[in-house]
Amino acid sequence: MGLREYINDIVEAVVTTVKGMRITARYGIDAREEVTQQYPEERRETDERFRGFLLNDIARCTSCTMCVKVCPVDCISLEAVRGADKKMVLVSYDINIMRCMYCGLCVEVCPPKSLVHTGGYEKALFNRGDFTLHFVHEDAAGIKARVAKQVAEAAAKAAEAAKAAEAAKPEPEKKA
Amino acid sequence: MEVLARSLISAFPVISGVPLWAVTLLIMVVVAAILLVFFLTFGGLGSYVLRKVAGDIQVRIGPNRVGPYGILQFLADGAKLILKEDIIPAKADRFLFVLAPYLVFIGSFSAFVVVPFGVGLIAADLNIGVYYVMAVTSLVVIGILMAGWASNNKWALLGGMRAVAQIVSYEIPVAMALLPAVLIAGSLSLQDIVRSQGGLVGIFGWNLFHNPFTFFSFFLYLTAGQAETNQTPFDLPEAESELVSGYNVEYSGIRYAFFFLAEFGDMFVVAALASACFLGGWHVPFFRAEALPSLWGNLLSLGAFLAKAFGLVLVMMWVRWTLPRLRVDQLMRMSWKYLVPLTFVNLLGVSLWLLVFKGKGIPQLIASIFTG
Repeated sequence: MGLREYINDIVEAVVTTVKGMRITARYGIDAREEVTQQYPEERRETDERFRGFLLNDIARCTSCTMCVKVCPVDCISLEAVRGADKKMVLVSYDINIMRCMYCGLCVEVCPPKSLVHTGGYEKALFNRGDFTLHFVHEDAAGIKARVAKQVAEAAAKAAEAAKAAEAAKPEPEKKA
Repeated sequence: MEVLARSLISAFPVISGVPLWAVTLLIMVVVAAILLVFFLTFGGLGSYVLRKVAGDIQVRIGPNRVGPYGILQFLADGAKLILKEDIIPAKADRFLFVLAPYLVFIGSFSAFVVVPFGVGLIAADLNIGVYYVMAVTSLVVIGILMAGWASNNKWALLGGMRAVAQIVSYEIPVAMALLPAVLIAGSLSLQDIVRSQGGLVGIFGWNLFHNPFTFFSFFLYLTAGQAETNQTPFDLPEAESELVSGYNVEYSGIRYAFFFLAEFGDMFVVAALASACFLGGWHVPFFRAEALPSLWGNLLSLGAFLAKAFGLVLVMMWVRWTLPRLRVDQLMRMSWKYLVPLTFVNLLGVSLWLLVFKGKGIPQLIASIFTG
């Protein structure tokens, strides 16, 4: 190592140190550049396409079970019975968010677009069971009983109608 | 101390019955207690400032929860460290493990004895002041190696060994960089060194402007001092990212606090020595503090000294958050190939300067032109 390189090394060390210190000083003095957000007080607004907790609008849900089938981790469970008007009635719709990996496949696949991601991301609870989101708040047995009753009523009505129709039918025959 | 004790006895006849040695001892204990309180406060507030400076430089906020602007953070940290469980690893060398933090702390704290805080504010104006600091801070090396060895931990041992290699290497440039000030003052006593920098409107008497060699010497000293106190560009003994925490990994609670405080103490000692040897110590710019009445002179010079020392501590922190860590071989190269030869050249230059210009600095030479 020649003397020229030796001195160059020293000069370079001094110059680069001063350069670096100028940069850090600029950041140190300019308080506006702080990017920290004080989390519990300041909350970041989640983006439009943020995949937070799932939310199912059960009024629009058709119980098609597409979400259940597509879910890679089987975190959605759904139970439905056929109603009086031949449409499915949801008995229970649960999502275990401890299993959910927020892949968004269920939202993509949902035909009536009733299943959506919300912006929610905070969940700290004391019991494991609380991590299952229930979307049908009514008692499952109650719904089943009600639907069964409606189905029975509809069936009875249909039977009556059929009977009435049957009773009405022969008359024209008689006339004829 | 004995002079002070004598004057105290003559001032208050009530205590004339007490033997002289007892009064002297009492004064010594009081002075030590004052220094200890200063040491602890500096350690605490220093850690707060360090974190705040780090936050500012890294575009963060830093501590801001405890008290206004987080200023009481160090009290919370202190309380936490005291209350934490004091863990001694099962296979550690118990005796050395327990002893090490005290050695490090003592090595750092005893350097405060010769720090010239003001016109008359010095615990003991030893006539070998600079040499004493060099000698006593070497105790830190033994403590650190002891801690690394006794922890029975690979990282701790590596950190300890690195610390020894580093501190022993950098002790030479540190001492060599301080020698120009000693040469100019013609004394190793720190008070004499500070006194030699008076006159000439305060600032121009400083050794920093005495001649070009002392100017470079100041920066060489700061660089070497940064390494001597294991701070970031040279923080190989701790090196969080490679050695976890180096020699103090296994320490917790109050024993860890000792290492922590010693680090800040070292930082202050380096800054204090730099300001005493190069920045005129307690000399107030454009003002003669010695000429004032004792109380005001001492207070004013104390303020000037602390302002200089704290300013240098701030610069050290600034460097700390700017430069990345060196590699071990780079560290050794920097000391032996760059700092040591340069400090020797500086020493030679200062000696020649003093010989040629009969001990006068550049400001004095310029002043002598005008005064004829």
